[in-house]
Amino acid sequence: MNTVEISHLSKKFENLIAIDDLSLNIESGKITGLIGADASGKTTLIRLIIGMLKAEEGKVSVLGLDPVKQKSQLNEKIGYMPQKFGLYEDLTVIENLKLYADLKKVPHDFEKLLQFTSLENFQNRLAGALSGGMKQKLGLACVLLGSPDFLLLDEPSVGVDPISRRDLMKMVRDLISPATTVLWSTAYLDEAHSFDTAVVMDKGKVIYEGRPSDLAKTSAEFEEKVIELMGGYQKSESRIAANYVYSHLDEVEYPVVAENLEKRYGNFYAVRDNSFNIKKGEIFGLLGPNGAGKSTSFKMMCGLLRPTSGTARIMGIDIQKDPEKARANLGYMAQKFSLYESITVDQNLNFFAEIYGIPKSDVKNRVNEILEIFDFGDLKKQRTGDLPLGFKQKLSMACALIHNPPILFLDEPTSGVDVLTRRDFWNHMTSLAKKGITILVTTHFMDEAEYCDRISLFYKGETIAIGTPSELKKQVSAKTMENAFIKLIQESDKK
Amino acid sequence: MKILRALVRKEFLQITRDPSSIIISFVLPLISILIFMYGINMDSVRVTFGIKNDDNSAEVAQLVNSFRNSNYIDSIISDNMNDLTQKIMRSRIKGIVLIPNDFSKKLETGNSADLMVITDGSEVNTANYLQNYVIQISNQWLSTGKYAYSMTPSVVIPVVRAWYNQELNGYFFVLPGSIAITMTMIGILLTALVVAREWERGTMEALLNTNVTKMHIVLGKYIPYFCLGMTSMIFNLILCIGVFQVPFCGSYFVLLFVSSLFLFSSMGIGLLISTKLKNQFLASQISLGIGFLPALLLSGLVFPINSMPKIIQHLTKILPPRHYITFIESEFMAGTVWPVVFKCSALLIIIGALLFVAVYKNTDMRLPND
Repeated sequence: MNTVEISHLSKKFENLIAIDDLSLNIESGKITGLIGADASGKTTLIRLIIGMLKAEEGKVSVLGLDPVKQKSQLNEKIGYMPQKFGLYEDLTVIENLKLYADLKKVPHDFEKLLQFTSLENFQNRLAGALSGGMKQKLGLACVLLGSPDFLLLDEPSVGVDPISRRDLMKMVRDLISPATTVLWSTAYLDEAHSFDTAVVMDKGKVIYEGRPSDLAKTSAEFEEKVIELMGGYQKSESRIAANYVYSHLDEVEYPVVAENLEKRYGNFYAVRDNSFNIKKGEIFGLLGPNGAGKSTSFKMMCGLLRPTSGTARIMGIDIQKDPEKARANLGYMAQKFSLYESITVDQNLNFFAEIYGIPKSDVKNRVNEILEIFDFGDLKKQRTGDLPLGFKQKLSMACALIHNPPILFLDEPTSGVDVLTRRDFWNHMTSLAKKGITILVTTHFMDEAEYCDRISLFYKGETIAIGTPSELKKQVSAKTMENAFIKLIQESDKK
Repeated sequence: MKILRALVRKEFLQITRDPSSIIISFVLPLISILIFMYGINMDSVRVTFGIKNDDNSAEVAQLVNSFRNSNYIDSIISDNMNDLTQKIMRSRIKGIVLIPNDFSKKLETGNSADLMVITDGSEVNTANYLQNYVIQISNQWLSTGKYAYSMTPSVVIPVVRAWYNQELNGYFFVLPGSIAITMTMIGILLTALVVAREWERGTMEALLNTNVTKMHIVLGKYIPYFCLGMTSMIFNLILCIGVFQVPFCGSYFVLLFVSSLFLFSSMGIGLLISTKLKNQFLASQISLGIGFLPALLLSGLVFPINSMPKIIQHLTKILPPRHYITFIESEFMAGTVWPVVFKCSALLIIIGALLFVAVYKNTDMRLPND
């Protein structure tokens, strides 16, 4: 039995072919993982399956229904969680649940869901005030209401920490009936490896369909295989790093120093007594669950937020005393995409070159250079908002590096980016570090944490462990970084 | 029904969480009424002018006294012409009355005498007003004083009576009219953001995959904001009738009935903009442009429709505030005039219904293809 049957489906957006003559069946009662690079057509495919978009050609049948003509009948049977999940941020947890229960015509019986999401104690908190992980859990809970026959989840685990990711997986597995079909789009290949079926997409086509275990035994091997399917990743010399000039003259042993940083809101410590030193050329990873205070620390480190007490030193300069001079040494990439979406790629670069104080006569050369080494040549006249996510992140990095800073701060640079782009990113970062640049980075990908020279694990506003990846793993005798992460946090909870 | 109730309840919760819609509903009318009441003055009250009197006879002193003895006009006396001209240039005074030194002497000998009035022509209305004032006062002085014999008695004496507003009190008609402007803005502003917001935040994509129908979505927006708008409307009327004591001759029932029709039609404009654009910033800009400006300029409140070019006159017919202003002015000042009530209601129903259909037709149940 198939829940979804698709034959020769095509979908175009203006000149862009999003889905290209695609045929696919999704088996009932199975969990199917949908994997693919950015802009490979995953979201479009999901939207076509549920009738949110209309295809130009081809046939789709979902649970025996035509998703375009019989949309309202279909809606009764599906649960769909869009990528940007539609929680009402100005409504509380319980109000959101009640709303979606009414819209799905099911009784207000949330006990089990609240228990599973561990949101029992947060029922009256506004959804907007929840941490990223909790939001996604609430979103999933709303979608699970009414026990749909077919569950479609569009990247529910983007920007979610490993613990919340496990919870999401557990919720789905425990709360659905065996007959439920799940289509789960994800950028995490370890997740995809644990599903019944994997569908790999590339340029609007299905390039692999089958059991993940047939492709590879372990999730690490699975990742390699998937990368191979997508055309393979050849690690080449990073041109970005080759082009980078370390121009800072006075040597500082620790370019980045946090001295007892603390941020208090009333009685609540967002960050408590946080200290660390980062050596020149080191990649220092800041890990921790959503809401642990990573971004707050980040903002204090670059002088965007005033600490309650303590300070940070950038190249030996106190960020509190001379924020402008300290910041001149920084390249900063914010978690939220912070370039101007309505202007073109080269206009953004020009603007950042100018505000970073590059002399007017050099701006044009520098921008052309950056366009070339980042391979933006063909895209330079594109509107920034129209770029796929991976390119946007790359452009953010280009803007952060435009003035050859000795220090780079990257806040979740790879969130929501596909595996190939992530590899590429880390290749650049490790190569840059070798040339002497000091990097502070946050991430939710535990495999990325392995690339860091040192890691600080952050939880509830405090550092609970600090050291090299292998030291941390040894500390709790865990094999993978992900297990080490979870164990360390569980231990901290026990205390 | 249950779904609609859930959507309406959700919308009300959002209203209570977000102070901006409350501010729009209650602070905006207050500011607007205060501006129409005190800021924009359509009567020429409190004008100051200067008097330079070179004739020191007792009769002329009486004339000067009469000039100064007014509730509406202030005056200053000066012998320094330079000083007075300076004051006109700085807009401290709006005009000068010059009484020459041979003024009473000429009248004494039975000749006609000249009196010079200089006015600030950059403000035409005030200039005319001042001119008329001087003529009126001097005639009065002439007819009652020593020189009365020199006046030819008038045969026709017009007795002026202004119907509906005997005191010719400007704010008696401006304030009710201002409700139309305020309610157009409120109706449009409240609704212009609400559909676009759901698209921008991604909540629409989630809604469309539940058991919600198109009618649910449309009514789910109309009902809560209609309720909020009507509360605001009643608040406006209380301010107008209760606080500012504008006389009300009509029926409260008719007033509320036609007002609700008007609110229904102006909400339609906001919802249509929001549904069509799906972008909060654009929607708010456009709604101000096509909501507020025509309501103010083309509704007949500030500029009489009769004096507009013919094409524009026809154009004003599609504007809900135009019909509402016609209605509300007559309802306040003349009481319920049934033909006016029927005509305005019918037009508002037609406009409101057309907009409702347009909103319904433009409500996308699928993602736009771009």
